[in-house]
Amino acid sequence: MEDVVMESDSVEMSGPAPEQRVADAWEAVTAALMSPGCSVVDRSLSDSLALLCGQGLGRLLGGWLLETLQTRLSSSVVPEFWSGLKQPENELEERGRAWVLLSAFRTLLDRLEPFLGGLQKLGSWQDEGRGLSLCGPGPGGLQDRAFTIIRALLLFSPSPVLQERVLEFYSRTFSVYMHQEGQAEDGAELQDGPERGVCPGCGVPTQQCWCKEALEQLQDLSHILSRLQLLEWVSSEAVTSILHKLIEQRMEQHCRGEYERSFLLEFQEWLELVLGWLSKVFASEVDRDGPVPAPGAPGAPGAPGAPGAPGAPGAPGIQPGSSVLKQWRCHMHQFFCRIYVNMRIEELFSIIRDFPESKAAIEDLKFCLERTNQRQQLLTSLKSAFESRLLHPGVHTSDILTVYISAIKALRELDPSMVILQVACQPIRKYLRTREDTVRQIVAGLTGDAEGCTDLASELSRGDPVTLEMQDSDEEGNDPEDWSPDPTDAVPDKLGSKRRSSDIISLLVSIYGSKDIFIDEYRAVLADRLLHQLNYNTAREIRNVELLKLRFGESHMHYCEVMLKDMADSRRINSNIREEESRLSEEEQPPLSLSSIILSSEFWPPLKEEKLELPPLVCQAMEAYTHRYEKLKAMRTLSWKPHLGSVTLDLELEDRTLTNLTVSPIHAAIILHFQEKSSWTLEELSVKLGAPKELLHRKLALWQQHGVLREEGGGGGGGGGRYYVVETGSSKEKMDRGVMLIDSDEERDSNTTTQSEQREEKLQLFWAYIQAMLTNLDSMTLDRIHSMLRMFVATGPVVTEMDVNELEAFLQRKVREHQLMISGGVYRLPKAN
Amino acid sequence: MASQNMDPAAAAASSTAALKGSESGGSSARSSVSKRLQQELMTLMMSGDKGISAFPESDNLFKWIGTINGAQGTVYEGLRYRLSLEFPAGYPYQAPRVKFITSCFHPNVDEQGFICLDILKDKWSALYDVRSILLSIQSLLGEPNNESPLNTTAAELWDDQEAFKTHLHSTFQN
Repeated sequence: MEDVVMESDSVEMSGPAPEQRVADAWEAVTAALMSPGCSVVDRSLSDSLALLCGQGLGRLLGGWLLETLQTRLSSSVVPEFWSGLKQPENELEERGRAWVLLSAFRTLLDRLEPFLGGLQKLGSWQDEGRGLSLCGPGPGGLQDRAFTIIRALLLFSPSPVLQERVLEFYSRTFSVYMHQEGQAEDGAELQDGPERGVCPGCGVPTQQCWCKEALEQLQDLSHILSRLQLLEWVSSEAVTSILHKLIEQRMEQHCRGEYERSFLLEFQEWLELVLGWLSKVFASEVDRDGPVPAPGAPGAPGAPGAPGAPGAPGAPGIQPGSSVLKQWRCHMHQFFCRIYVNMRIEELFSIIRDFPESKAAIEDLKFCLERTNQRQQLLTSLKSAFESRLLHPGVHTSDILTVYISAIKALRELDPSMVILQVACQPIRKYLRTREDTVRQIVAGLTGDAEGCTDLASELSRGDPVTLEMQDSDEEGNDPEDWSPDPTDAVPDKLGSKRRSSDIISLLVSIYGSKDIFIDEYRAVLADRLLHQLNYNTAREIRNVELLKLRFGESHMHYCEVMLKDMADSRRINSNIREEESRLSEEEQPPLSLSSIILSSEFWPPLKEEKLELPPLVCQAMEAYTHRYEKLKAMRTLSWKPHLGSVTLDLELEDRTLTNLTVSPIHAAIILHFQEKSSWTLEELSVKLGAPKELLHRKLALWQQHGVLREEGGGGGGGGGRYYVVETGSSKEKMDRGVMLIDSDEERDSNTTTQSEQREEKLQLFWAYIQAMLTNLDSMTLDRIHSMLRMFVATGPVVTEMDVNELEAFLQRKVREHQLMISGGVYRLPKAN
Repeated sequence: MASQNMDPAAAAASSTAALKGSESGGSSARSSVSKRLQQELMTLMMSGDKGISAFPESDNLFKWIGTINGAQGTVYEGLRYRLSLEFPAGYPYQAPRVKFITSCFHPNVDEQGFICLDILKDKWSALYDVRSILLSIQSLLGEPNNESPLNTTAAELWDDQEAFKTHLHSTFQN
């Protein structure tokens, strides 16, 4: 006030007459402007005003007011505010700090109130038409400028203490509010204060609870700030960081590790609750028709002589409250989505691992991901998660496949365009290609043999009749209207916008680019199984083959069908021969009852060769069988595989009988030899059976375990030992031996050559062709080589076609091994060759 | 049982052979020739003989290019010769037409590359195959039949191995 008085004094001194009148009028008007109570009588005031305007001084009023405001602010108000805020220096409790904060702002408002009142009066005078030229830019402009000055001077160098205090205060009111509004839920805060008697809202003993006070203070503060138009400036940052922190906190507590529940709705409700608090923070802007004047703030109800002044209390320049809230709601949503996506991206690997159970989490993530721009982040993170957690030697192939299958299922939920699936799983597919047993595992999964993953079998039996070929063609039928562009992160591949497959089986099969490998492997598995079970029961296999036929097409499964048919035919032939035998007289009955499985060798995978000469007794039986077969099937004969099969036999020893032992042919052959001679050396047996000694040694172990044979003198299994029949065994021994596992040494070897052996064989053959063509035709391009191979290599069960990529990889390997050269896209052999 | 009698490889081969031989009718006879040639190619590939090699020139299975390296210990050592092999529709009952593409200074090879070799003419038998033809020509290089020379200069020079070798190497062009 002093400044104003001094100034008016100086004006007063400047003599009588018109100047004096002008000075008086100036003083009257400025005093009226600055006085909250509006003491000047309306009449004289308007006279003075008219006089000033007449003198052309009216326009200076605005400038003067701003000037005064600025001087006052920088000289006293701002320093007072800051020192008031800092004053207690950590001595007070939270409650006290809140009070200091509020009172600092209160004082600020008190100090500035006269100016605000003045501005308002000036505005209303102008509106009433008392001199349209009162102030240049109009009342709104003047006020804007005033508030700008306040903001500029006050917040020019804000001390961090303000932010801290505001943050603290808002956090407190938030927890108070949330506590009051959401009594029912929120275990979190309760857990925080384990000791009784603490108010969960304000965190002090209940008798000192200041919850109510805090909320009132919040309201006050909000009104003061809004009056000074500082609300956005002071609160936004604090509110933002509080929201961020709280959403994060809540998410950590509620959602982390919890994939089986959807959190969207829950959070939606909670956010609405938070919105309630926000509406309190931004109260005065929310309901601008509400009781705006902050309690205790003097002079708020503008000039009494300003009836119908538009927007009287709220002041222009403030947006409608609902839009502020709407804006904050959007913000919160965005926060929520972003934080949620961040968290889930971190957890995505686990979510995928748990997939069918974690569907809720995937759906939430999908919703949120669509609203944030984090696909790239997701891809990068997921890829590296796969690499660090899955794709290393310590993980079993079947586990990798299980996760991959889950990933397919989960990611096709997450991103129906399959782009994420395609990109993120690239490393898995690449890695699986390097695993030896991938194909076997997949095939085992398909046929339901694998312990872990039953997914594939059920996927197969779902048997949607979508064969692999059909998948490419069905897109023609699509309505062009339904077309949507690929997401920007799609890999530009040959398929282009073609539909990416989401079918689990076709994805797995396509790891190698060719389904032939799988069919071959399946054939091997099938052969193994048929040869191991040695009965003619093929119901399950027939089912599998039929299902696979739906997938791979009739022609590819032809070999397998023949194999199954072999089983059926064998059964028939067998019963025919049996019948014939049964018609024979007693003496002519064969000494052994022999059943056979007759394989069409062309169609079965190559069987391992093992040399074994069976005892004459068995050979005779086989010959007789062959003879009968030849009669049954003219122009055909049988070629026996003596090492495959099984023998059921009874052993009669002096004091005991072992009945119904089922052993392999070699075991039976060995023990049969002991029938004619009770002791053999390994050497003799080896000659007799035509089998290597090591093998025999291993096989003899079974009979030793049974207590039927014992080895003497050999020691260490060097082969010098003799084996004797143990005709009498102690009963104790019998007991012990009885429980021995019959199949203990039966290392269920595969009877067919392995996948990798076959592959190697195939590559050797191809290499011979490639060498020959390059020798004779000098140089060729990849495509030419490929088409030549396709044309001239007779493909069969073992030699399957090679696709271009596989060929290129193979050729590159040869280039690295210096067996091949490439220049300008054509391959040639090195000169030295 | 009938299905087991059918060889799918044969079926596949015949269909591809029919495609290949389509320019000359693709009769069943021709397709059986194709099959035989494909089989011969396979045998040749699997045999792994050093110094001889052959492969169809393009997608026509009836026209091959062959390569023969001069056998060790002969004057032809270190030299490599290209040949062309053309199989008639009556193959293997008719002999293939074999001639050198690389010009070959040899008593039994004329300037156009035609070869005087009994098994390619009157002594031809369906039991021979590409591999035996190439091996025969390889051994012919080292052991010419000077009784019935096509290239008399070479026949006369043959006895002087040093001079022959010098002349051979100085005129050899790949």
